[in-house]
Amino acid sequence: MSTGKRAVIGSLATGVPGLDAVLGGGLPEYSFNLIAGGPGGGKTTLAHQIVFANATPKRPALYFTVLGEPTLKMLRYQRQFTFFDPKVAGSAVQFINLSEEIMGGDLNMVLEKIVGEVERTKPGIVVVDSFRTIAGRPGSPVGEAAFGLDQFIQRLAMHLTTWEITSFLLGEYAEEEQRNPVFTVADGIFWLLQATDRNSVVRKLQVVKVRGRAPMPGLHTFRITDDGLEVFPRIPEQTSSRQAHKRVRQSTGVAGLDEMTGGGVVSGDAVMLTGPAGSGKSTIATEFIMAGLKKGETGVIAVFEEYPEEYLARADARDPRVGEMIRAGKLEIIYLRPLDLSVDEALHAIIKAVKRLKAKRVVIDSLSGFEVALAPTFREDFRESLYRLVGTLTATGVTVFMTAEVVEGFSDVRFTAEKVSFITDEIIIQRYIELEGAFRRVMAVIKMRGSDHSHELRSYEVTAKGVIVGAALKEYDGVMSGIPTLRNKSAASANPVAAPAKSAEAPAKRAAAKRRR
Amino acid sequence: MPPDSSTTQRLARQLIDRARVPGDAGAAKASAAAFAVEELYQSLSRWIGSDGCHALFTRARAEAQDDHPPLEILEVRAHSKPYVGRVAEAVAEYGDTATAAAIESMLVGMIELLGRLIGVDMAMNLIERSWPEPARDNALPEKRRAKA
Repeated sequence: MSTGKRAVIGSLATGVPGLDAVLGGGLPEYSFNLIAGGPGGGKTTLAHQIVFANATPKRPALYFTVLGEPTLKMLRYQRQFTFFDPKVAGSAVQFINLSEEIMGGDLNMVLEKIVGEVERTKPGIVVVDSFRTIAGRPGSPVGEAAFGLDQFIQRLAMHLTTWEITSFLLGEYAEEEQRNPVFTVADGIFWLLQATDRNSVVRKLQVVKVRGRAPMPGLHTFRITDDGLEVFPRIPEQTSSRQAHKRVRQSTGVAGLDEMTGGGVVSGDAVMLTGPAGSGKSTIATEFIMAGLKKGETGVIAVFEEYPEEYLARADARDPRVGEMIRAGKLEIIYLRPLDLSVDEALHAIIKAVKRLKAKRVVIDSLSGFEVALAPTFREDFRESLYRLVGTLTATGVTVFMTAEVVEGFSDVRFTAEKVSFITDEIIIQRYIELEGAFRRVMAVIKMRGSDHSHELRSYEVTAKGVIVGAALKEYDGVMSGIPTLRNKSAASANPVAAPAKSAEAPAKRAAAKRRR
Repeated sequence: MPPDSSTTQRLARQLIDRARVPGDAGAAKASAAAFAVEELYQSLSRWIGSDGCHALFTRARAEAQDDHPPLEILEVRAHSKPYVGRVAEAVAEYGDTATAAAIESMLVGMIELLGRLIGVDMAMNLIERSWPEPARDNALPEKRRAKA
């Protein structure tokens, strides 16, 4: 048979954000699906969301309820979701209780009732919740009533498919029960899980199979909010190269740092700025965003350590234009603080904001806060997760500027704390040093893929007007030890720290001039 | 939001009126009210199950009983026909009007309770849609006549 004569399998949009992508393009029409998982997994909510997204007066949905959750309670709770439209309950969405037929223990009666209602209503979608009550559990008294279950499932599937119905059976199944005949007959199997790790619970969905589609493999996290389920498809591995883009230099907003990087960071790169607490990481990150906004490049800042209001208040104190830009829709601060966050959820929030604003610059402030915000189960593979997150973001062409806090003593010299330097294209480090009885700040560019950069350690100050980079500490040895020593004692009076310098030679020139005086 | 009692009362009255047989003599009001309850019980059972529906009527009856003594005689029986039993005895004791008022009060209470549980809009919607169509106004009396 030629391909042109193949039956076309239409798609049904599930109405669940992210799920259609996981399914490989929506639900196959007229498929016979099983939604399985433990109690409280979100099976009923998922089914309702699909039903309300698709039911119409012409092609209504029949929602069969059985002995599990009383219908009244189910309706009471489900109607709290925004997708639940009470106006269509009773017309486009019809609820039918099967408890009497089930109590009779005769599967034929149950089938007759379902088929009778289907013939009468001609629905587009049928849900049986919970199918487990019909099927029974092996060894349980109800399970004894499951005589002829194989035939029942076969006949039910056949009837529903011939009536061109997309159907869902809901049931509490454990993974070891996958030999149950319903798993064989089902065209699609959705598995909803709740992974508990310490005090954190993460909801995950697995599409075990979807006939006629190529679903996204793996476990995908999802969240249930007032709007129902939202699935965060697992970030696909970075298989393709980044979006082709010109290696244009982008100003960091800090003149001295632009000089050190040879004209600014490279657009589309992943830049990491590491430093101890109070070293000015967030200030530089904000200046990076503001520099872009000045050029008309919109930006997104993802914060993890403080509420956006607090972050904005601090940023606004440094630069009042931050608030203006947010109000103008050119900058968005997204707040991702829950302790049960998944990498995928964070990425989705950032990507959504990037698309919404057509952003060119993204700040993640900070990786340390991000790691803490993640559910413990995701912290274990933080490096891998971050690799996927950064890869996906830079693949869109945005420049990602990440901050990371390092805790260090003077004797402990580390370039990055997160051991994630491999994911970055550019690394800038900040350090405290002790000089003339006071803490001073220094910074250096230690990595810029594919381009030359300054190798100097430059002093800098965080002032009310922003970050001012000073001179290179050329007169000192052992700066990275934290306690530098002056190489030439005669230059002792020349304080190179925080003296704005046009070039790396400036401090030496100033010192010579002073000596001459 | 709690259900507006005038709305539920109006709906209950409509259901009873639809169940009334024109020109019926005797215990017409009480039997029409009992028939309306019966119809609602049957039709709503399709949606929420007969046990769920019976639970609602049982509570509504218990709450209305203090103000309506005929309810001490009247019975609601799950999975039985008629659903409202001992109507004749209640009428004999308290009269048709008082018995009808008692059943109507139970009906109002049940609708209010359903509204509190799932929302007034959805409760009204389900009741309206579950009432036998298209016959609400015409076929029902016929049906009752046939039954009589």
